[in-house]
Order: sequence, then structure tokens, then C-alpha cells
Amino acid sequence: MPRRSRAAASGTGDELMSETATSQETVAKEAIAGKFLTFSLGDEEYGVGILNVQEIIGRLPITRVPRVPEFIRGVINLRGRVIPIVDLRLKLGMPPGEESREQCMIVVEVTGVQMGLMVDRVSEVVDIPAAEIEDAPSFGSGVTTEYLLGIAKTAGKVRLLLDIERVLEKSEVTALQAVQAASSAEAES
Amino acid sequence: MPRRKKQKPAVGDEPLSLNEIAALLLQVDATDMAELDVIRRALHRLDSRLEPWPLARAFVLDAAWRLDEIRRGRVAKPDAVVSEVGSLIERAMLALDGQDPSEVASSREATPASDDAPAAIDIAAADRDLLECFIDESRDSLDAAESALLLLESDPDDVESCNTVFRVFHTLKGTSAFLGLEEVTELAHRAESLLSRVREGEVRFGGAYVELALRAVDMLGAFITGLQEQLAGGVPATPAGYAELLRSLDAPDPTAGAAASAAAGGAVDGAGSGARAAAAGGSEPARGTDRGAESWVRVRTDRLDRLVDMVGELVVSQSMVARECAVGGVGEDLTRAVAHAGKIVRELQDLTIAMRMVPLKATFQKMARLARDVAQRRGKLIDYVMEAEDTEIDRNMVDFISDPLVHMVRNAVDHGIEPPDVREANGKPRRGTVRLAAYHHRGNVVIELQDDGRGLDRDRIVEKALARGLLESDRGLSDADVFELIFAPGFSTAEELTNISGRGVGMDVVRRNVEAIGGRVEIASERGKGTTFSLRLPLTLAITDGMLIRVGGERYIIPTVGIQMSFRPTRDALPTVAGRDELVKLRDALLPVVRLHRLFDIEGAETDPTQALLVVIGSGERRCALLVDELIAQTQVVAKPLGAWIGHVPGISGAAILGDGHVGLILDPAQIISISRQPGHGNGVGSALRSVA
Repeated sequence: MPRRSRAAASGTGDELMSETATSQETVAKEAIAGKFLTFSLGDEEYGVGILNVQEIIGRLPITRVPRVPEFIRGVINLRGRVIPIVDLRLKLGMPPGEESREQCMIVVEVTGVQMGLMVDRVSEVVDIPAAEIEDAPSFGSGVTTEYLLGIAKTAGKVRLLLDIERVLEKSEVTALQAVQAASSAEAES
Repeated sequence: MPRRKKQKPAVGDEPLSLNEIAALLLQVDATDMAELDVIRRALHRLDSRLEPWPLARAFVLDAAWRLDEIRRGRVAKPDAVVSEVGSLIERAMLALDGQDPSEVASSREATPASDDAPAAIDIAAADRDLLECFIDESRDSLDAAESALLLLESDPDDVESCNTVFRVFHTLKGTSAFLGLEEVTELAHRAESLLSRVREGEVRFGGAYVELALRAVDMLGAFITGLQEQLAGGVPATPAGYAELLRSLDAPDPTAGAAASAAAGGAVDGAGSGARAAAAGGSEPARGTDRGAESWVRVRTDRLDRLVDMVGELVVSQSMVARECAVGGVGEDLTRAVAHAGKIVRELQDLTIAMRMVPLKATFQKMARLARDVAQRRGKLIDYVMEAEDTEIDRNMVDFISDPLVHMVRNAVDHGIEPPDVREANGKPRRGTVRLAAYHHRGNVVIELQDDGRGLDRDRIVEKALARGLLESDRGLSDADVFELIFAPGFSTAEELTNISGRGVGMDVVRRNVEAIGGRVEIASERGKGTTFSLRLPLTLAITDGMLIRVGGERYIIPTVGIQMSFRPTRDALPTVAGRDELVKLRDALLPVVRLHRLFDIEGAETDPTQALLVVIGSGERRCALLVDELIAQTQVVAKPLGAWIGHVPGISGAAILGDGHVGLILDPAQIISISRQPGHGNGVGSALRSVA
């Protein structure tokens, strides 16, 4: 937040409208910039904000939960806690991946809820400055842009920065449950 | 008399302006005591605000006094007096010389307020923990006072109960004074004085005094609730009728209460003793007295819950270690040490679970008060009997059963028990009996509510159900089937909607709450003889006794409480009816079969019932047979929710960590039975869902 106010302050005064617009963009990018945990899904490299990440765990036995959307792979026992596992490939509309030894789960906390993200491989933690961040293109990438904060281009490498809160937004799950409830209510009547 | 009134208008207790009071007065019926009383209280509330305008104040006080006279029945022509009151209010308005009523309040605030103790206490200054403690303790002791008062009502010579009530008021007075809660202190002080007069034998306790003391208890409770809301950031408010209650406590009128309750509730035989709490098993010791022997520590419930959870996990991990020991050839010493640790762990578990158990007494006593009030308002005569109220249940279940019991007790008194005259005409004693009992039965706690009233009326239920389209015909339906209908949402057979019950909310809520904690509701009723509701509850929420079952490569837990039996069907027990859902013949009954592998899309499961097993779940008419591959073992698990993110999964009530560290899902028998009753359930909503997704 302090970043934002500093940038906003520099944007006031007699500056032209266009410059204000540019500075607003800078504000947005400054807000995105920071440390990211990068991982890969298929051929693409992704990043998730490090503040959401709690730990990285290897593959644990997953218990399938029936009658939920396919991208919810099930639940695992994380030291006595039962947490849901989301298959990011399926969630982002990619074909299911093959099982491999590199596959692992990133435990994140989003709005107070702990859950695991299944990814193909975890790479590294990188610091991404605002200067390297570009807007997500409205087409072309394999992922719906609404799930992206932006795209980072570092030394020829392209990383898609995920808006993890959007990805794991509950509304989608609830929407599905509404369908479910409606169908069972229909059957009941 | 120091008058402690709050100057700031408080939420829900906005003082009426003179204009508003005048408007009310125009509409009022001079014989409507309740309405007149509202106006009288509004005038009293205005009184202290009018101090800067003595003339107007005098008129207002005069008006209030006249209304009081009407209330006490000392006026021959109420109509004439009401119009006098009207002119007094007009004069008061003139005296204020067109002052805006809102200005009345604000300018009053500007004057130096000497005797104004604002209800808002400075929480930042007062010790929060102390206040929380005070709230907790006061709740308990007020409950104790209430039940002692009910005992005292039935036996005015019960010295012990009288002392209990006295002590409660006395302690409250002391503590609240220490905390600077002046309004509470004042009220407790007066209530204490009233009781001390009873104790000294100055007055004989009964009728109006009981009413008055109960009102004091209620209002103290309201203060406590207000205090708690304030701690949570709410707005402080003095409960309505505070000043009036103070005055009544000062000068109790032994006839006023009886008259008021008669006016409000219609015919009450033997005023003031409409209900009697008859505690079975000898006289009931007041809570205050048995405190001396044991000492107590108050523990925050979230800590306790976490402890119970952790110990549950410890049990699971310990059994994992023990199994490793049994499998891999480890030394004898280690095996012995692990076994020893196991014993300790299990003892620890029993202990922690016991820590969360509370006697049902407090809950039952609340129902005593409710039964008494409802009976009095509806002109019924009842004896309220409690049995085995020392039976303990999990503290976390109390909240779940409290609402259902409220509904059921209300229904029993309001609809179950007939009016005294009707009872007499039917050859029954004039007093009805409502009995609340608890006992252990096959690993469950059963709470039974029994009344000797008119019983459920099968014909009326059927009629209602036909009208509401819940039923096409009652042919072939057993009584149990018909009674089942009262659990349908919005179902009510009450002829008139009273403000007590009969709004058709209730029995569906009862069932939902009880099933949410893995319990069942059963009804037995005989026309003209009475009704018995039984709530069958698990002993504790911490541990679920379950049967671990396998379907294909997956394992599930069925709570043992929901299982009746299991069997492998023979070919001829499986009649095939084309186009119909699958059924199985068990003795003389036909049960719907739920193929778990189809319901949950499980691969690799046995599909031939004669090669697999059927587990019968549910009870009575609500049963179904679950097709599973095999029963693995009996198990005890710590049930955990799947979490709000995944949300509710039909047929699943939660998850648990199994002995091998994997997660197992716990089935919800009640829901699966509901699913089994839907036509075409076998196709599986799951696959339909997938195509939507």
C-alpha cells in the first residue's frame, strides 16, 4: 500500500492526463511485483505469489471426493488436517498430466482456506520487478486471462503470473453446487 | 430515588415523542390494558428528559399516574380518564411551546447531567476478561435462580430455593457494583430486597411475587446479553421497562401480576401456579450449594475443542505406530512400550471427552420455564417432570438440541395438552403432564419428551397433507408413515396461529438439527393418550463409531448408529421389475437398493449383489440397502468437516483420518436414504453433474 500512495502522489499535479494513466499502470504493476514461486504445467511456466504459499509437499495419497467438479482431485491428510487438492491443469482447462516423480503439491492459503495445488514440477522462487511485468494478452495464451495478474518476461523466459485468489474463488464451486442442488431438488419433487 | 436513564436514544428502545404518544392515545381502546401500559411506560421514559421544563413534566407525570390508576382498576370510567390523559398531554405539548421533540432530547443532554449514569461502560478501561467472566458466571447463576424460583413457586416454604435466589441477586449486586454496571447493581439490589422480605417471612411468596422475581431475572439476563453485545462492538441499551420494574420491585402489588397474566393469557386456574416444576427423584439441590465440594476451572471452549481434536489425532497416530510394531519384527521392549503408550492415550481420550460433557439439567430447566410460561399464556394446567437430568451429553450438542426441544416443548404444551375443561370432559385429570427424560440406550443418549395430551391426529395430518399435495392417498400408510409427514417443511395442523406455536416452522427444523449431529427423531403417539418424541443422539461428537467399508478401490465410513444389519442377498431376494428402481426383499419388507459405486462413480466395484454385501441403513420405514464390496472393520474416527470450500457433498457428512493416515469419507445415512427415495437415483447425479461441469 505505501507503494501505491507514493506512486499516486507522483501522479498528481499539473501532469497530463496520459501521464496519469501511465502512472496508474505503474501502480498496478508495482502492486503485482514481488517474489513468486514458479512451477510448470505442460510446457508453460507459471508463478504464484509467495505470500500465499505455505509449503511444498510431495505426492500424498489423495482420497477422491465424489460428486464434485473434476478439478477437485480430492482431499489429503496434511498432519491431521483434511485439505482439498486442486489439479491446476484441469482447473486451467489443460488436459490431465501424466503421473511423474516430479509432480508435487503446493500448499497455499487463500482467504483463510488451506488447500493444495497439484502441479507438474516446482522450479524456483524469483523476484519479479514491476519493469518486467506486462499485461496479460487478451488472446493467445492457453489460460483464460481473467486468472492472470500479468506476464513476466525475464531473460527471454515468459512466466504467467496467476491470480490465485481468482483461480480458487469459491463462487465457481458454489455455482456447481447450485446445479447439483437443483438437480437433486428436481428429483425430490 | 436516583433515576438512571440513558439519554442517548438506543436501538430498539427509542423513546416516543409527545406527538407520537398523543397519536397512540387517539387510537387506543380504553379497556385495552396492554396498550395503555405501553403509553404509560412511554410517558415515564419521557419523564426524565423533561426536567428542564417542570411544567410540561408535571403534566406528563400526571398523565402517567392516571393511566396507572386505570391499570390498577381504581377507575370507574376508563374512557373519561383516557380523554383527560389526552388533554394533559396536549397541555404538556403547549408548555413545551412548540419545541421540537428532538430538541428536547438534545438540550437535555446539554444540561449538566449529575445523576445520569450512562449505560455504556468504558470497555477499554474495564478489564475485558473480567467482564467475560462476569457474563459467563451471571448466565449460570441466573439459570440457577430461575429454576429455584420455579421450585419456590410450587413450594413457597422451600427455604433452600429462596436462599439460592437471594444469593444470586446478592452476588450479582456485588460483582456488578465492582465492575461499575450501575443499572445492574440497582436492579439486583431491589430484587435482593424483595427476596430478603420473603426470607424474613414478611411476605408470602407466590403469584405476583414470582412473576416479579422472574421478570427481574429476565431483565438481568437482558442486561448480560446487552453487555455481551457491547463487548462485540454493539450499542448499549437499557432493556425496555427497566424503570417500571424498579418501581414494582420497590412496591410490589401482590395482585398486579396475577391480573396482568390473566389479562394476557386468558383463564388460568389458580393464578400464578399454572405450571409446577416437579423434579423427580427428590428435591433438587440448587447449583449454588453443591459448588462448595468441587472446585472449577473455566476453560475456553475453542481450546477444549482443539484439545479433543488433537487427542483424537494422537489416538490415530498411536495406533499407526502400534501396527508398524506388529508388522515389522521390532524388539519386545518397544512393543511393550508402544502398548503401554496406547493405554495412556486411550485414557487421555476418555478424559478429554469427559471434559466436554455437560449434564442435560441446564437445558431441561430452561424448558421448565418455557413450559410454565406457555401453559400460563394458553390457560393450560401442567406438571412438568424431569427425569435423569444428570445424564451428560457433549457440550457441542447442546446448541443443536436446544432449538428442537424449544419447538417440541411448546408444541406439547400448546397443542398436545388439552385445556383443563376438555381434559375433565374426557375423563383425564385437569392437570396435564409433560415429561422430559434422558437415558442411555445402546451407545446412544435418548431424550424423550412425553405428554399425556390429545395425541397426533392421523386424519388431520392426512387431510393437511392431501391439501398441500404432499400425499395422494393414505392407503397402505402406517401410522409411522403418516407421522413422518409432520417433518415436512411448513407443515402444521394447528387450527389457529398463535404467537407461541403453530406457524408451521418447527418439526422440519427439529429433524434437520438432530440429523446434523448424527441423531434421529422418533414419534410414538396414540390418539387421546398422548405423544412421545424420542431424540436418539450419539454420545459425543468428538468420536464417530463407524464401520469401514470398501467399494472398488475406495473406502468409506458408515456411522454405526445408522447401520441396522448387513447381508448377502440370494438371487430370489432381488425381484426385477423393468423400469423400476432396484429393490431387495428382506423378510417381509422391500427396501430400495442404493449402489454406492453408481452413486459415487466408483470404478472396479462388484456389481453383482449376490457376490457383494448389502448394508441396511436407517430405521423404521426410512431404510435402504447400500451395495458395498466388503466390510473391513469397526473403527472409531474423529469426524472433520470437508470444509466450506468444497462445500456440501450429497451423501457425505465429513471426513476422517484413517488408521493408515489416509483420509476416509464418512457417509451420511439420512441423506442417502433421501436420495434412495428419489425415482431414478440409480443413474447417479454425479455423472450428470460432470457433463454440466
